[in-house]
Amino acid sequence: MNRSEFLALLRVHLSPLPPEEQQELLEDYQNHFAFGLQSGRSEEEIVAELGDPAELAKEALGNRYVPDEPIYWYGGPNQTSEQQASSATGMSNRPIPIARRNPFTQALVYIGLFFLNIVGLPFLLTLWCLVVSLGLATLSFILSPLLVGLEYAVHDNFHWGKLFASVTMVGLGILISLPARMLLKTMLALSVSYFKWNKRLVKGDAGHEQQ
Amino acid sequence: MDISIQFKKGALELCVLVLIREQDRYGYELAQSVSKHIEVAEGALYPLLRRLVAEGFCTTYLQESTGGPPRKYYKITATGEAHTKKLVVEWRQFVHNVSTLIEKGSTI
Repeated sequence: MNRSEFLALLRVHLSPLPPEEQQELLEDYQNHFAFGLQSGRSEEEIVAELGDPAELAKEALGNRYVPDEPIYWYGGPNQTSEQQASSATGMSNRPIPIARRNPFTQALVYIGLFFLNIVGLPFLLTLWCLVVSLGLATLSFILSPLLVGLEYAVHDNFHWGKLFASVTMVGLGILISLPARMLLKTMLALSVSYFKWNKRLVKGDAGHEQQ
Repeated sequence: MDISIQFKKGALELCVLVLIREQDRYGYELAQSVSKHIEVAEGALYPLLRRLVAEGFCTTYLQESTGGPPRKYYKITATGEAHTKKLVVEWRQFVHNVSTLIEKGSTI
């Protein structure tokens, strides 16, 4: 890493600071480079001595260091992040303001969700049908020897070929059952998070904080 | 390794204050003097110096230098002086206590 790379990285990591503070710090580092080069060191040496820009920036931000926050689509806790940046003291007892939507916005949210769900719900349903049918197929594969036995008991006819075929089916069923189970779990998680997300959008960010 | 970095970070403020108290120094000079004694990421000095200025432990002034950018000198204030003395006393106490503890432990 050379001088300009170091400074560029540092600038990125210092971006949460007010511009004049950023500028001052960057000047400090620029001057450090200037003095270092004057005393006959290479840029790489100086960078190595200075240390990791991200770490240095974290140091400079101190308790103003804001970890990456999720991005909210609507208003939400982002409105408080400025307060949080300026007074990083009361993180825990920071009041959570509940954004009051005006009726128009709320109506728009409902309309938006309506159209989204016109597409989203059938899509989800289709996926569920696929997963359920896969599960049923797996079940019938695994249970196929029972069917062979049933045929023997009721119709009194028996073919060795059928028995071997059913054994093969059991094997296949067991193999398929593994991915099928995973798919089922994924589907469950997907549906739950989809509905939760819907609920959250309707309720606004208050619903989000309560989770 | 990581732990030793934490030690150094903690002691850096004290080292810097002592060095500034000795005489006015500029950033690069401080970095050189500190790293002569302890191996530390020199870049950490500048955020620290900013904090010291903000807390009123030292002030800065610029002085032209030949063939380079002006040097930003750091000068200790009265509160900084008092703070340094307090820190040194606390440091000695702390080091003493920890070494007694370690010696006690090693004999067992």
